[in-house]
Amino acid sequence: MAPISPKSDRSLHARFRRLMGGAAVDRREFLALATTFGATTVVAYGMLGLPAPAHAQATPKRGGTLRMAMTVKELKDPMLMDWTEMGNLARPMLDNLVRYTQDFTFEPQLLDRWEVNDDATTYVLRLRPGVTWTNGDAFTADDVVFNLTRWCDTTIAGNSMAGRMSALIDEATGKAREGAITRTDDMTVTVQMARPDIAFISNLADYPALIVHRGFDGTVDTAKGGFVGTGAFEMERYAVGERATYRRRTSGAWWGGEAHLDGVEFIDLGGDPATEAAAFGGGEIDANYATATDYYDVLTGLGLTLHETASANTQMLRMNVTQPPYDDIRVRRALQMVIDAPKMLQIALSGRGTLAENHHVAPLHPEYFDLPEKPEQNIAEAMRLLAEAGQADTEFELISVDADYLRLPADAFAGQMREAGLKIKRTIIPGSSYWNDWTKYPLASTSWSMRPLGVQVLDLAYRSGVAWNETGHSNPEFDAALDRALATADVEKRRAIMGDLERMLQDSGVLIQPFWSSMGRHATPAVQGLGMHPTFVVDCAQVWLDA
Amino acid sequence: MTRLSLLQTIAAILSQLGLVTAALIVLLGAAMIFRRRLGILGHTMTSPVGLIGLMLVLFWVLVGLMAPGLVVQDPLLQITDMKNALPGSRLTLPDGTTVTYLLGGDVLGRDVFSRALAGAREVLMIAPPAAALAYMVGIALGLPAGYFGGAFDAVVGFFANALLSFPVILLFFLLVSPEVRDSAIPAGIAAVLFVLPTFFLLAAVNSRLFVAPTRRNWVLGLLLAFMAWLVAGVVFDADPLGMVSLDPNILNVFVAVAFINAPTVFRIVRGAAMDLRARDYVQAALTRGEGPWYIMCWEILPNARGPLIVDFCLRIGYTTILLGALGFFGLAVSPESPDWGSTISEGRKLMAIFPHIALAPALCLVSFVLGLNLLANALREESLRD
Amino acid sequence: MIGFALRRLGILVLTMLFLASMVFWLTNLPSSLKKMAKSEASVRMSDADVDLWLSQNGYDRPLTARFGEWLGVLPAWQPETESTLPGRCAAVAADGGQPFCGALQGHLGRSTVFDMPVSDVIAPKLAATGWLMLYSMLILTLGGIGLGVVAGIREGSATDRIVSALAIASTATPDYVWAVLLVVTFASATSGVSPILRDWGLIDTPTLLLGTATSAETAIDFRNFTLPVLAIGLYGVGYIASITRASMVEVMKAQYIRTARLKGLGLGRIVLRHALRNALIVPVTVVMLQFPWLLNGVVIIEIIFNYKGFGWLVVQAAGNNDIELLMGCAMVAAVIVLITQLVSDIAYTLLNPRLRFG
Repeated sequence: MAPISPKSDRSLHARFRRLMGGAAVDRREFLALATTFGATTVVAYGMLGLPAPAHAQATPKRGGTLRMAMTVKELKDPMLMDWTEMGNLARPMLDNLVRYTQDFTFEPQLLDRWEVNDDATTYVLRLRPGVTWTNGDAFTADDVVFNLTRWCDTTIAGNSMAGRMSALIDEATGKAREGAITRTDDMTVTVQMARPDIAFISNLADYPALIVHRGFDGTVDTAKGGFVGTGAFEMERYAVGERATYRRRTSGAWWGGEAHLDGVEFIDLGGDPATEAAAFGGGEIDANYATATDYYDVLTGLGLTLHETASANTQMLRMNVTQPPYDDIRVRRALQMVIDAPKMLQIALSGRGTLAENHHVAPLHPEYFDLPEKPEQNIAEAMRLLAEAGQADTEFELISVDADYLRLPADAFAGQMREAGLKIKRTIIPGSSYWNDWTKYPLASTSWSMRPLGVQVLDLAYRSGVAWNETGHSNPEFDAALDRALATADVEKRRAIMGDLERMLQDSGVLIQPFWSSMGRHATPAVQGLGMHPTFVVDCAQVWLDA
Repeated sequence: MTRLSLLQTIAAILSQLGLVTAALIVLLGAAMIFRRRLGILGHTMTSPVGLIGLMLVLFWVLVGLMAPGLVVQDPLLQITDMKNALPGSRLTLPDGTTVTYLLGGDVLGRDVFSRALAGAREVLMIAPPAAALAYMVGIALGLPAGYFGGAFDAVVGFFANALLSFPVILLFFLLVSPEVRDSAIPAGIAAVLFVLPTFFLLAAVNSRLFVAPTRRNWVLGLLLAFMAWLVAGVVFDADPLGMVSLDPNILNVFVAVAFINAPTVFRIVRGAAMDLRARDYVQAALTRGEGPWYIMCWEILPNARGPLIVDFCLRIGYTTILLGALGFFGLAVSPESPDWGSTISEGRKLMAIFPHIALAPALCLVSFVLGLNLLANALREESLRD
Repeated sequence: MIGFALRRLGILVLTMLFLASMVFWLTNLPSSLKKMAKSEASVRMSDADVDLWLSQNGYDRPLTARFGEWLGVLPAWQPETESTLPGRCAAVAADGGQPFCGALQGHLGRSTVFDMPVSDVIAPKLAATGWLMLYSMLILTLGGIGLGVVAGIREGSATDRIVSALAIASTATPDYVWAVLLVVTFASATSGVSPILRDWGLIDTPTLLLGTATSAETAIDFRNFTLPVLAIGLYGVGYIASITRASMVEVMKAQYIRTARLKGLGLGRIVLRHALRNALIVPVTVVMLQFPWLLNGVVIIEIIFNYKGFGWLVVQAAGNNDIELLMGCAMVAAVIVLITQLVSDIAYTLLNPRLRFG
């Protein structure tokens, strides 16, 4: 068990007592926050008076190859990665500094522990000793400084870490601020934020934050093993669109001991559920990446085990306020009121999920504020608003990408709108073309994957003028409150601000979000230690086969 | 939710299709009575194969025409409780009405039966007109190419062969992408595809009626106006009367399908024209002093109609299958569309536990194409007998 | 004969040039380039970043110049500033920096999706599709010609009627419908014959056959390859059967067959000795002409069965607007089609002494 620094320990316990003093407290509210501030999962669960969930009841067996159906995309520089699958293709070889677990907590991975000051401006990262790269080098503070520095480089097209590291970046140079990243000693790095940033640890656990060797030049040659890594596996073969295979690491020891599996194989089945079912039926794969809710019964019927987790993943409709007729708030409110959320959940996800409230903060986020106003269907009022806005006879065009997980919910939305008496035209754009204008579509279905903290998605998607703001939502008051929330380490204080943020977003009417989807995956009963992760992390080092 | 028995379901389907059956019987009866005056089509009815083919094709044509009146409910309406419902499921809605999904519900709780019927309309709206347009273009280019030969034949033949050596699916991916749809390319191709037959029709009418200039001018004027109206509506979506209008998506697919079929038709027509131009009646017309367009349009074409009609039937079937394949690749007509290809592709994913979702449209597609093939077969045997 | 072949060859080259320019134009529309930039760098990239990426990688230059480079009639472009993609000649720069690197020099360029030379991407996929086509061709030839001959021996017999009806039904059922039906019947652990066979202990695998041909990429066997081959075969076999039948019927009516029958020779002997040879000319040329048809037909089957062959590659290339890969695929497909046409034309003319080269 890693010790936590006395300071954060004290404040944590104080906060914990406050939390427990309240009435009913969802344990998840506490866990993510407690572990952000340095408590281990066991400590965090201990503070709640709960035993940490035990995942591996049986003794792991050694051997075997895990064959998982997953899209095999071109492997690239982690910080340019734009799909969770890419992260998982690199993960057998690379590690994060911090790991987000299936229990919604943070655990050190390449770190041994970390310390945070109370206002979340100084982070001390203490490295895990005894980690070696596959080329024989030791993992040191130089590696961490190298990664942090390149994450801060905004001049690289498509660098998605730069947005997450904004508190470290000098706006004048577009690179890391002088003195922001300090190599304290061989095994310690100190990070000094320009402003409080409570999301830092959470950002370290994201897939673009996989740690590369200090000699990494930005190119990935899969013919030569891909990455110099710290992970438990080495790449064997990599064929884009087909399969990627890995074998247990032989060059140098993995810091976690030895992987249970002899190897891992990701097989690209084209993302077609029918093909996946056929491959399961024929015994060609042991697990899939994710099962769409409509196919739960098909796969469970094959004798497979469903691993399911709650998550803050969502498929929703978003309106762009810069595009008519959605520049009129009456239209946005009206469209929100047309939707019957429970029915949507049933038809789009077969009921596998929980209801959401049009503000993109989920009950499982630590700082979730339970607004009394819940969205409700009110067709009469919606029609009145539309008539008032002069849009009662408008044909609304609903755009979606052609992938099933967004197309079907969009069709379901269209169905409900049509039933309410609106004119709806559906437009489908193939995946490759969709992203050309994804932030400009007037009315489109969109999906957002889970971020561990509630403020993170708000910061990415609803702050005025940010790159991923696809709603055109722009409200200085909202931005100011968001800044305050990001600087407020105390969850109770932050919750109060969160209430305002949630209400502002709800009132703006930019999104119609009926549900949070539960995430499911199927695997053969032999697969152990895989489970389902709320942010899709596949940690092969934990998996073993009970053959 | 209750379920009808198999027999009840079949009976309900038959009664739902009663109107079509009645119309089919009336039409076939009338055709039987007047079959001597129906030419080659009448002859096909004497063989059982031809009769079955004709019945199947007529059935789907009638369904396509009457689909809005035949469906149980709006093919896009979703009823939550009917998600993946089995055939014959019956549900009483909160407002007291009862709906029956004769062939079950799909993954969004829509009525598979209604969608299959509405799908017939979608398919019939594209496949036969696209085949017809391909024929018009193929004839307009193939007749002069076969009759005159020479440089015109060489140039058009070159482009036709070049298009034919292109993998169909690749051509579709290139032509039906959103980037191309938003450009001027589909409208450009469509304009060319429509202009060619227009010229041809004008030439045909002119060659026939040039002896009576006043009448000719009237007919030409009317024809030109009609084609202009069609082009305005179909290609530019700017029909002044507001009667013809085509979604850009459908125009794109329509144009691509016609474009892909035209070269084959060109080759057939060209071959026929080359074959027939040495015939006696052509020589006779030449000695009469008829112009080349008269000979092509009024001597060669009518005599080549046999194989052309047969191929036309087959081509509609082929186009239907091609449209289905496009549905599989997501290049289909439009989202939520009940067209058979898209619904088969959609239903395939749940085939193992809910086979009805894919089987219904698959059977529709197969029976329609089967009808066309049987009809073509009977027509071929008839034309061989002549 | 040589003049004829040369002229055909000239037309072939012209055709390829025409197709290449068409594909190049369609894949280089401004929005298509943006699409490619996004799929290459990052889908959530800003428009400014897209322009930066395009100019860094040389895509902002005129279309004609880039087509000339692809063709190999203009010197290859080399990136001046740092580029995420190597220039056209990067792969061959080792031998002193060759200025022309186009299709004429045998360089089809680099696939952006697979990050490999186009020819290296296409070759194995073409081989994979070759196997699929070979087995399908086997079914078409043996099944189609066999059934056609049997039906055509006695026109109007019960066998003839049944075969003719089956042939028509086969052509009316497209390959993708066959695929759906076959998978549910033979490759589903919960429906069709597999659960029954398993109950009876006749098979020890969950399904009789595999519904995916993914494993056939490494080793083709009965379980993983039967269904895709059958799906293609069942759709095409009817056409070949009806052509063969028609040809056979015609031959059986010929004078020399009647004479042979009058001489009292057995039917089997007549068919084998005399009729077959003449009846098979047309079907064999038609079968050869099925090659291009197969090349199209396999696309949807490869997608349904997740078999990574040429058709799958075309879909990947088109879906990601991988310009040079698409160009390569189009060229390869066109060459195959044109050569088959040439060969079958020559074969037909050789087999048919009545035709002379004109």
